Amino acid sequence: MKKRIPAFILAGFMALSLAACGTTPASTAPPPASQPAALSAAPSGEKVVIKFAAQGDSTPATQAVLDAFNASQDQYTAEWMDMTNDSGAMREQLITSLKAGSADYDVVSLDVVWAGEFAAAGYIDPIDTYMKDAGLSVSQFNAGSMASGKYSAKQYVLPFFPDLGILYFRKDIVSAEDAAKLESGDYTYADLQAMAEQYKGQEGTTDGFVYQSSQYEGLVCNANEFTGNWQDIKGGLEEMKAMTDSANTPADILNYTEGETANSFIKGQSVFSRNWPYQWGSVKAEGTITQEQVGIAPLPNGGSVGGWLLAMNKNSANKEGAWELMKFIATEEGQKIMSTQGGYLPGFNATLEDADVVAGNEMLGMPGFQNAMTTTIARPVSAEYSKVSDALQQAIYKYLSGSADIDTTVTAVEDALKG
Amino acid sequence: MVKRMTFKQFLFILPLLVIIAVFSIYPIVSSFVYTVFDYRIYDQQYSSLYVSSSFNPARFYENCDYIVYYLQDEATVVDEAGKAEIQAISNEISAFMAPYQNQTQNQTLSGPEAEKIESFIATIGQRLNTVYNQYPNAEFYHQEDMPILLEDMQKSFIQPNFSGISNYQRLFKDARFWGALGITALFMVVSVSLEFVLGMALALIMNKAIKGIGLVRTTALIPWAIPTAVSALIWMYMYDGQSGVVSNIFAAVQLIPAPETMLSTFWGMVGSSIISDVWKTTPYMALLLLAGLQTIDRGLYESAAIDGSGTVNTFFRITLPLMKPSILVALLFRMLDAFRVYDLLYILTRGSLESLSVYAYKLMIGQGYYGYGSAVVVAMFACVAIIAFVFVKVLGAEVVGNDE
Repeated sequence: MKKRIPAFILAGFMALSLAACGTTPASTAPPPASQPAALSAAPSGEKVVIKFAAQGDSTPATQAVLDAFNASQDQYTAEWMDMTNDSGAMREQLITSLKAGSADYDVVSLDVVWAGEFAAAGYIDPIDTYMKDAGLSVSQFNAGSMASGKYSAKQYVLPFFPDLGILYFRKDIVSAEDAAKLESGDYTYADLQAMAEQYKGQEGTTDGFVYQSSQYEGLVCNANEFTGNWQDIKGGLEEMKAMTDSANTPADILNYTEGETANSFIKGQSVFSRNWPYQWGSVKAEGTITQEQVGIAPLPNGGSVGGWLLAMNKNSANKEGAWELMKFIATEEGQKIMSTQGGYLPGFNATLEDADVVAGNEMLGMPGFQNAMTTTIARPVSAEYSKVSDALQQAIYKYLSGSADIDTTVTAVEDALKG
Repeated sequence: MVKRMTFKQFLFILPLLVIIAVFSIYPIVSSFVYTVFDYRIYDQQYSSLYVSSSFNPARFYENCDYIVYYLQDEATVVDEAGKAEIQAISNEISAFMAPYQNQTQNQTLSGPEAEKIESFIATIGQRLNTVYNQYPNAEFYHQEDMPILLEDMQKSFIQPNFSGISNYQRLFKDARFWGALGITALFMVVSVSLEFVLGMALALIMNKAIKGIGLVRTTALIPWAIPTAVSALIWMYMYDGQSGVVSNIFAAVQLIPAPETMLSTFWGMVGSSIISDVWKTTPYMALLLLAGLQTIDRGLYESAAIDGSGTVNTFFRITLPLMKPSILVALLFRMLDAFRVYDLLYILTRGSLESLSVYAYKLMIGQGYYGYGSAVVVAMFACVAIIAFVFVKVLGAEVVGNDE
């Protein structure tokens, strides 16, 4: 908070001084020759502020990346516009701002499923030419993340950090044999159900398996996994219903989001849980169990791809600066900081092999996690994703809560997927 | 007696009229206007109200730019003749697109201009096809991208999106709309009925001249003073399937099969939202009724008592009839309020229980359907108008006292 106020004042001054200078197109103008080289120590009165819209980060990583960017730059300075951690609310906030054509944010972070809509609506700019000028190619980045931001043959995003659904299990409870089976990924939801039944109650656990089943985006991710990317809708949903109705899941599993899931697992109440990679860090930070007690495995039909992307506001006044910031965050330096200081999965492929990253991020070295990375599945890709997702949530939740039968639900899901 | 106003008097109320026009008439009118357009914010071809055809030069330019840019890659995999042709195509595109650079406003095109652009797009498409067909073995980078770009370029032409009454027709076929209407009506009827009965009881108690009644009146109002969003959160914890106190008590007395029923089944959610609403707005109802109760002449009760009327008889023969005006107003206010319910459901049930407001919000903000979402809002407006009409004209509620 203390740092905030001067930043705002500075921003105001900079806006004023910029206005006084008249508008110079940022695209080609080199930094003014008169500008002293060693500016980093001096008050950054002449730097252009690049505003970056991102959610609060419980790890120091995002701030560290921005600090590193600011230290590396004599032309721009990045300012973090803190967004709400409620993704739905953040999306609405961004849309309200971008729809009005405002330049409040230069770089925006987007959930993977928003990119299609934002691109279709014309809120963000394609970046192919910037990438080419910087000598970057699409194949250098996480494939799933890049694909989610490709719309009408143009690339709109760089990965901020990719995410994937994985299975966490209690190594101290599950037998070595079963652990090996889980880590290989060669098991089914029925096997998981049986294991949950078998191990539930040991070491003070009260539940077998916890995952996300409340009516929200998380339900789509989980249903995507149960149905094997909608290949077996009927079988997958029946499996999910059996899990919901069984005594192996909490009675109120239909209200579970990531928060409840993580809470149950890190407090040692459940044997298995499906969550995103961040839960590994939560175990360490606030768990009553330790990381030694936890194993990671792929989900039976693969894990949904999630994560966040970086995109450029079409109405940004400083597109060159916005690109510089995006590039910095998404490539070696930024991704290394994100990974080592925040435990995020790198979205820049070369960073995956960086020795410091592998040493600093225990998950990357785990065989179960490596297997999980090879079997990821995407959610439906659509320019009207929120409509598709909303219809899926409605249909599936009705079925799981017992107010619709399986056949109507399968038809509704198929209709929803058709768009 | 309504008196004619002089011009000078009119000037004094003019600012008020302007304020009403700007802040209440204008939004209502624009909502109505939205409903007759296929207005969707996530599609650039529909993201405004277009009454005539127009052209989006920025989109056209961007796609041209992309084709030229992708052609540079394509030129690297063909022979000299191919390179020359690709260069020629690039040059033609560059020349054609130049006037559209940096134009951000949509333009109205004349017929010949539009045709010129249409035929340009078609020609480029053909010439690109010819190149691709000429080198079936070359490993082009962007062969699949080109048709997509050309298609996107076509979308630079914006057709009028006036859609007449089709949004309203869609309402009739939309099962989700009727479901939401049913939930809203159910919520309104049940919660307002309960609030009325409880509120009346509370008002009768608060009307008694006993010591410390001021304190009772003040404390009774506390639920009403808590913001709905906060009370919804409090109730959410109390209905929680594991640790919620209310849900566990209900389950213990066999009112519900299991604690988690309250927030995960349809009827559980209906029940829990009604209970929360009744808890919150009963004091408000009581306050409105209390005001009515206090206007009744004490003398009437004394006369009734002398004539030997019992408490029940007095209540139904004197209190209720004399309170009719204030009861009608209280019911009307509460029903209109309950019909618009949004925040309680959105927070307590995370939007799973869809009232009309929640549905309209999901359509407009969630999915970007401003046109259709506005139609839902207008339908809601119609329902509210009908309720108000019935109360005022049929039941004779006097919301605003006239001096006539």
